[in-house]
Formats: sequence, structure tokens, C-alpha cells
Amino acid sequence: MILLTLLIITAYLVNLVLPWWGIAITGFVLGLQMKPKSGTAFGIGFLALFLLWGGQALYIHLGNNGILSTRIAEMLGVGSPFLVVLITGIIGGLVSGLAVLSGTLLSKIKE
Amino acid sequence: MNLFKAILPLLILIGSIFALNTNFGTVPPLGKFFDPQAGFWANAETSIPESSEVNFENYNGNATIYFDDRSVPHIFADNEYDLYFAQGYVVARDRLFQLELQTLDASGRLAEKIGPRALGIDKTTRRRGMPYGAEKALKMMKEDPKIWESVNAYSDGINAYIESLEAKDFPLEYKILNFSPEEWTPIKTAHLLKNLTRTLAGGNSDDRTSNTMEYFGADFIEKFFSAKPNLNDPIIPPSKNWDFEAIEVQSPDTLYKPASAVELGEYERPEGIGSNNWVVSGSKTESGYPILANDPHLSLTLPSIWYEVQLNAPGINTYGVSLQGAPGIIIGFNENVAWGTTNTASDVMDWYEIKFRDETQQEYWHDGEWKPTKTRIEEIKVRGEETIIDTVKYTHHGPVTKVESQLDEDSKPVYHALRWIAHEFSNDLKTIYGFNRAKTYSDFEEAVKHWVAPAQNFVFASNEGDIGIYVSGKLPNKWKYQGRTVSDGTDPLYDWQGWIPFEHNPNMKNPERGFVSSANQESAAPDYPYYLDDDFAPFERGRRINELLASMDNITANDMQKMQMDNYSYYAKTLLPSLLEWVDTDSLNDLEKEILGDVESWKYMMEGEQIVPTVFRQWSANFYRAIFDDEYETTDAVLRYPPRDMFVEVIKTQPDFAFTDDIKTKKIETREDIATASFKKSVLQLTNYLGEYGDKWKWGYLINNDVDHLASIPGLGRQNLFSSGSSEAINATRGGTGPSWRMVVEVGPEVKGYGVYPGGPSGNPGSPNYESMIESWRIGELFELNFMKVEPKEYLYKIEIRK
Repeated sequence: MILLTLLIITAYLVNLVLPWWGIAITGFVLGLQMKPKSGTAFGIGFLALFLLWGGQALYIHLGNNGILSTRIAEMLGVGSPFLVVLITGIIGGLVSGLAVLSGTLLSKIKE
Repeated sequence: MNLFKAILPLLILIGSIFALNTNFGTVPPLGKFFDPQAGFWANAETSIPESSEVNFENYNGNATIYFDDRSVPHIFADNEYDLYFAQGYVVARDRLFQLELQTLDASGRLAEKIGPRALGIDKTTRRRGMPYGAEKALKMMKEDPKIWESVNAYSDGINAYIESLEAKDFPLEYKILNFSPEEWTPIKTAHLLKNLTRTLAGGNSDDRTSNTMEYFGADFIEKFFSAKPNLNDPIIPPSKNWDFEAIEVQSPDTLYKPASAVELGEYERPEGIGSNNWVVSGSKTESGYPILANDPHLSLTLPSIWYEVQLNAPGINTYGVSLQGAPGIIIGFNENVAWGTTNTASDVMDWYEIKFRDETQQEYWHDGEWKPTKTRIEEIKVRGEETIIDTVKYTHHGPVTKVESQLDEDSKPVYHALRWIAHEFSNDLKTIYGFNRAKTYSDFEEAVKHWVAPAQNFVFASNEGDIGIYVSGKLPNKWKYQGRTVSDGTDPLYDWQGWIPFEHNPNMKNPERGFVSSANQESAAPDYPYYLDDDFAPFERGRRINELLASMDNITANDMQKMQMDNYSYYAKTLLPSLLEWVDTDSLNDLEKEILGDVESWKYMMEGEQIVPTVFRQWSANFYRAIFDDEYETTDAVLRYPPRDMFVEVIKTQPDFAFTDDIKTKKIETREDIATASFKKSVLQLTNYLGEYGDKWKWGYLINNDVDHLASIPGLGRQNLFSSGSSEAINATRGGTGPSWRMVVEVGPEVKGYGVYPGGPSGNPGSPNYESMIESWRIGELFELNFMKVEPKEYLYKIEIRK
């Protein structure tokens, strides 16, 4: 739970100064340092950014009355603006999950 | 732990980041694109901007931009530099992608940003001499201190905005196409102006006319292209007295026949582009002051080609619409006058067949001697690939294009040089600059004479009560029908031998009939002593406008707005009664009889809610094709098709017109046979396509009005806008083209303006202002324009531009 919270906070902060792939750095470092179980590392990493990016996207979607997400949905041919929100969460989640897992596994080589 | 297993996720991670940061073809880099803080989500507007002050280091001025309740900017500045700086700044804020795309397109640089798929377009743009023309225009701008200052101020404003951006602030399209905005330079203004000439005067039918003459003979050309319909109603009527001696021009004894029938497809004239404007004098209005109306018809896009703005500084207070990339107001009004424009279809683009001495193309034959060609190297950068070097030869006519026969693969290639008005030196912005500050008719006349291209029918009204129209632009003085066919590049008699003196251009001030108007039809009655072109718009819109205006009195601005939405079809009025007379009703089945009954009671209005316009358009198109296609299909050569209005006249008055017969059958068909068969075919086609006869057949759907995104990005346009109109109606809405800005202005002690365009001020697809006016436009509702005399106390928000 601490890892999840830390992942969300650090990813949010790093995203303010670095490009989007900054989330992989914080995920990787946290995996390296916090050493979660290999089996859950990916899941926690995924969930953190799925919640952060998905949440941010949902917040913007609602504030914008779905004007832009509807257009992007049409552009991508995915049908619903909610799918666009979901895809945002999934992309963030995948990158973060992989990053936490990479960090975690590397931390275990030393052992 | 196994080292490989431990490192594998890291490799996948790095690979994924790389993949998600790269665009593949038209797919944007997904990680970068979906990032909620800097990707497309950052373009979703969630609130109205707050008032702010922006500061720039090298800026010493003072300008404030007030946004009204429709988010239209009203700029108040201390001087002209500050004014145009602020205009550049606000246009960049709202339309940056449009600014850049238009000029990339016009300078043949699309491939540099979006890759090899745009290379073909770029090559054609370069071979047409677009950058060459822009360089000449830039030279003229530099020589005019006022214009040069305005272009530079505008440029500085755009760059100030661009420099203030971080990647997350880039307009959506940059994120989709994955490139960054680049610095603006004054030559881009020249590119934009050349783009206007390309859109409005960048096509011809020279090769088609030559081919048609070859296949169908000179009589056919005479019948359909030289002759004019009886209902023709030129812009300047025959009542005008031409009190000058025309400059004579020497013509060749026989008409040149080009070596082979070839096609230059990309230079074909685009259809559906036309415009209306008119001005009624105070003698015909309720207020006693003139009213001016204008609706330029162009391809409808999101964002719109136009941007509404007010410009106020000492010596200038003007309101109207601008083109993105050019300082000033193109169509609009100020406290004293109003102006508007339509396109003049004068022939200012000709092809010359060139005879080179040898394959090196160093010399060409002209006027009895070998003359040297010039070489221009076009360097076309291609994203992700090597730069392409294209060498273009120039004769004194212009750039040379190789054309290959489509008919005979073994024939030698032919070379055509392009003589085009866009290559002339020009300072067209001086006209706009003059209009924006004009007070009287003589100011208008002084301003229009600087206009070179594309030739325009500028209309004018002043609060002194003057009205007028001036066919403006540099017009080559041609012998009759010069340049409607491919010209002889070796014979100086085919050169543009001189220009029509500007004072001789068709024009008219305060005519007795109390109005002036234009709808792209012939510029002047046959007594006008110069030849301009044989390919003006059909008479339909022009005649309808003139008849309505002649019949009206006590006119109000509201009457003019309603008239802009008039859907009357002269095409139907002239053709349909004959079709109904010819159709053999005995041979029709019940459904066909029912439909025919509905057609008979129709009043020729192309209303979206009606079904008959759909039937009429389908029927008339099938009828036309049945007459001509059998003959036109006998050759692969590309031929010129007769205009609608002459076709109607010929088919009605000449029952024995040879083309009527379907040459693919043994039987000799008559008009009656063709009318009946094409009616039956139309009913069948529509039933197959739309289902049972009923509401689905409504013209509003079939009009196929799509307002696509500027770069045709799916999802960013507005599809299937249920609309009324037709290409032959005043409301010339049709298939994504039509009135791109409807404006009505009543001049007087207190000028009053009304306007609407199909779009919104913002170019951001994530803004509620992206298409905020489209519904009002669709139903023909014009907004009262908020023309401010002093800085407003109430506004939505403001931006103060300070040091």
C-alpha cells in the first residue's frame, strides 16, 4: 500500500518536469529500493498508474464535457470516450508495471 | 536469479518506451499522446481563460485584446506595430496549426513534417512555381515600408506566442502528427497569399479544350463554350458605356494544335467554389443608406478558413474576417465603409508547349531563335528519408512540367511551360491595408488598383451613399479565346503581350438600377472590348440575385440575410419543365408515377427538408450523362464537359442535337427516350441506395455536407450536416463547399454588421468554441457583430500585451 501511494505521488511529480516516460524512472527506482515480491511488482505498478493516468483522464473528460475525448474516440475508431479514458490508464499502467517489475528483479540479482 | 530473466523486463520496458514515443505512419506516439499532463488531454479546455497580462522582452508596446461573449477578439493598440503584433499573437493562440499547415502546403514543405506520403503534393507545388511566386511577392513587400512593418509586426506576434509554448501547450494536431511548431517568417505571409491564388485562380482547362476540339470539332466548342446562354446576366450590364479606346492585340492566323492529347489532372479547376456579393444603394433601403452583403464560397473546413477579429489603433478601426497568415481584415467594414469580394474567373493561367533544342533542356525555341532556360533547384526535405533534389527548368513563360500522353505510351514526352499570374510581382496586401482605412469611394479605387491576383470582384459601400464594384487584378490583354487551348510556346503571338490598363477593368459606380452584384458570372456584357475568359460561372446565381434585388424596395439588413439563404434553382426552372414534357408517362410504374407527381408540384427550391431536390439532381445528372457519356467514353483523352446552362439551352432548342442519340445502341434515341430512361434509372438508383421512397430521400441528407478537418483528420470534422442549398442556388452549400462567411453590413452614421461562419474562433478541437457557430450557420442565422468604438467595460476576459 505504501508502494502504491509512493508510486502515484512520485509519478505525478516527475510527470510535471519530465516527459511522460519519467513514470518509468520512478517506478524502476521504487522497485529497486522497495523490493516488493516479484509476483506482485507488476500488479502494483500497473494499478498505480492505471489509477493516476486513468483518474486524471477521467477528471479532464468530465471537466471538458467529453468534447475532446469523443473526437479522439472517433479518430481512433474505438467507439466510446470512456474507452479513451481506459486506454490512457492501461498505457500508463503497462509502462509503470514493467518499470516496477524491472527494478524489483534487478534488485534481486544482488541477492 | 538468472541474469537474463532479471534483465528481460527492463529490455521490454525500454523497447516499449521507445515504441510508445514514436509515430508509426499515421498512428501518433501513443505514450506521449495519452500522457494526461502533456498529451492530447492537455488540449481539453475545462474553463474559460482568465484575464492575464503577457510580457515580452523585445516588445515596447501596448495592446489589449478583449474577448466578447462569442470569444471574438477585439484588439485595441497604441500604434500599428502593436496592433499587428497583437493580431499575430491572438491568431497564433487560436489557429497555430492552421497557420503553419497552410504555408507548409503552399511552399511544398509538407513531406518535411509528415513524411514521404506528401512528397507528390510537394513536387507539384514546387513545379507550379509556388515558392518562386512567393519570393517575388516578398520582394515587393519589402519595398513598401507600411506593409513591411505590418508583416513583421504580425510575424513577431506569432513568434512571441510560439516561444511561450511548452510541448504540452502545442495544438492537438502537432501531437497527432508528432512535430513541433517552427518560427514564423514574413515569407510565409507571401506563401499564404499565393495559396489564395492557387485556390481561386490555379486551374484551367487548356488541355481539355484542345482535346475536345480535336475529338468533337470546332463547332462543338463554338456551341458550348464560345456561345453564351440567353439568360446570361453579366456583372456589368450592357447599359455601361465604355469610354476608352481598347489597346489592340495581335492574334495568330490559325489556332495552334498541340502535339498530343495530354492531361494535367492536378490543374483541373475545382468545382463548387464560387461566391456572391451585392450592394444596394440607399434609394432601395429602409434606412436610406447602402447595405452590402457577401458570402464567399470555399471548401468548408474545421477550423474555418476565416477568423473574426476587430482591429483598433489610431487611424484604423475595422472589423471582419482575416485569413490566417496575413495581417489585416480581408472582408469587413470600418466606421465609414464596407467591402466584400467574389472571385473573377478570368483566364490567368496558360500552358505552352515547349520545343527544347536537345535533352539537356538548356535552350528552347522562341521567336525564331534558341533562348536559354533558367534552372531552379527545389530541395525537398522528407521526414525520415533523404532530401529530394528536383531541378525545374524555367522559360520566359514560367516553370516547365513534363507531361506524358495517356493515350500512347510510346509517344515522346511533351513539355509544357506554365504562364501564371501567381508569378507576377505583387503587393496585394496594400489593397487590404487600404480597405481597412478607407473612408470614401476614391479611397476604395486607390486601394483596389494594387490588387494583382487572384482577380476579384470587389464591392464597396460608403456612408456617403456611394456603392460600386471593381473587377480587380492584373488581367492579361489577350486576343479572343487566347489561352483556352494549349498555346504555342515558340510563337510570341501566344505570349501575354501586355496588360489591360487597370482603368479599363470592368467597373461600375452608383448605377441607375440602384445595386451592384456579382456571382462569378461573366464580368461584362459582350460590348466590353477585351477578352477575359470563356469559362465563367453559369448565369443561375447571378440572374437570381439581380432579379430579386430589382424587385425589392425598403430593404433591411434582415432581408439581405434571408436572401443569402435563398435556395431557388434556375437550373431546375430551366430544365425541369422540359424533362417533364419529354418523359413518357405511359411507360411508368405506380411508384414512378407517384414520384413524378411530386416533382410536378415542386417550386424549384433546393430545401433540405424536401425530397424532390434529390430526385431532380439525380435525374438531371443521369440525363446529362446519358447525352454525353457515350460519346465522351469513346476516347481515353480527358475532355471538357459543357457547362450546365449552355447544355440546357442547346438540348431545349435543338431537338436534333446529334449527341442525344446513344451511340451504343442501334436505335436512334430522342430527348424523350433519354428523359424517360434516365428518370426510371434515377428512381431505381435512389431506391437501391436509400430504401423506400420517403423521408430518407430528403435533400438535406443527400446534399452530403461534410465540414472536414483541415488536414482531414477523422473525428475532428463535422460530418453529414443536414443542410439546404445547391451549387446553382444563392445558398451554394453543397458537399462540403459553400458560404464560408456570410456577412451583411448596413453602413450609415452607426454602421451595423452581421455575420457567421461554419466553425468557431478556436482552432482547438478540445474547445467548446471549435464549432460554436456551425448550427447558426446551418440555419442561416447571422450574429450581430459587436463593433466597438472605444475599449469595452464588459467583456468575457482580456489579454494585456505589455513590455
